[in-house]
Amino acid sequence: MISKKSYNIIIAETAPIILSGLVSSIKKFKDLPANILEVDSKKSLLETISLEKIDLLLMNPTFGGLLHPEEIKKSSLNPDIKIFAIEIVKLNRSSLSLYDGHIHVADDLTEIRYKLGSLINPKKEKGEEKENLSQREKEIISFVVKGFTNQEIADKLFISVHTVMTHRKNIARKLQIHSATGLTIYAIVNNIVDLSEIKL
Amino acid sequence: MVKKRKYSSRDKMISLISNDYRLLQVLSRFGIQLGFSDKSISEVCEDAGVDCGTFLTVVNFINNENLENIDINSLSLQSLLHYLKQSHSYFLDFYLPSIRRKLLDGIILRDSDVSFLIIKLFDEYVEGIKEHMEEEEQHLFKNVEALINHKAISENDFPVYSRHHEEVGIKLRELKNIIIKYCPSDSRANLLNAALYDIYRCEEELESHCRIEDFLLLPAMNAHLKDK
Repeated sequence: MISKKSYNIIIAETAPIILSGLVSSIKKFKDLPANILEVDSKKSLLETISLEKIDLLLMNPTFGGLLHPEEIKKSSLNPDIKIFAIEIVKLNRSSLSLYDGHIHVADDLTEIRYKLGSLINPKKEKGEEKENLSQREKEIISFVVKGFTNQEIADKLFISVHTVMTHRKNIARKLQIHSATGLTIYAIVNNIVDLSEIKL
Repeated sequence: MVKKRKYSSRDKMISLISNDYRLLQVLSRFGIQLGFSDKSISEVCEDAGVDCGTFLTVVNFINNENLENIDINSLSLQSLLHYLKQSHSYFLDFYLPSIRRKLLDGIILRDSDVSFLIIKLFDEYVEGIKEHMEEEEQHLFKNVEALINHKAISENDFPVYSRHHEEVGIKLRELKNIIIKYCPSDSRANLLNAALYDIYRCEEELESHCRIEDFLLLPAMNAHLKDK
């Protein structure tokens, strides 16, 4: 179902290049109609947020002298407001965990759209991420946990190394497993390989 | 339920713990022994030779992560560094080994199923944290020491955000999920739960620890540099 609702987004970022870059990127998403408001001070941010029903705040973590996302949520008219960090320098995970999400300056449009979409329409987008693996992906897993390199797997399956890597990325995303040991556990429990086939 | 409040040096030390038991660890990392009867925070700190300003800032930060209440200038770099080093040692020398023992109690270890792989995964995770902390001690902490000793540090060394936090965090989430989803069915439920509770708590404590580095240590270093 396509909703006709347009979203209220505030951007709290003082650097003009990043600000205008974000505004024009968001405007490119035709399926995500947005009213974008810009704020330049802590005062105007808190004021706007307490008066208008805002769906999303994109903010530079240093905006207004380190505002805590929880504090902002307290003064928000919309209790379900989502707050995203605009990541310009690399922030660590625990600092990012204070936010509902983040957009990195180097993100491409697809990534930005995906991040905004998963937030604004959580149900619709999350349901798609099932852990169903394709037959090919299972095949790749069995080679990986037996210790084959990407090149060896590519040779065996007559595909390019690049394709192997894409498969591996998709596997990691679907299973949320990134380590070889974790993948081995998954493969054994799901009978993709037998314990005796594993080289340890 | 933990109440959020701001403590002052005149509050009793016991009131701190009654409100938020997580602060017990802060005490031990600062080297404050229990058994302080009804003394105030400043008295206990004085007895233990602890910088009261730093202690209060850390306590208030952990209890109520409101940065507006934090006065970076009340921090002593030396005390904060000592505290962070003790935290590292707490995770590596005490907490993580204790979780490993609990995991071994909960999972029946044998080489005919995935049990030994779960322990291997845990060990890899610990190794990752260890590497991260050692790197931090060799770079970030060395720079703090240089600042304390009034030595110049190069601009490049500054400020060093912990690049590996993210990676270590992903591994931890993975570890919990794998144990929950794929542990052998004959695992001892209560003992395994105890290990899992500890892993969740360890994750929270590690995150809080990282935030102290980002929001107290780095600003304190910057403030120290500006004074020059």
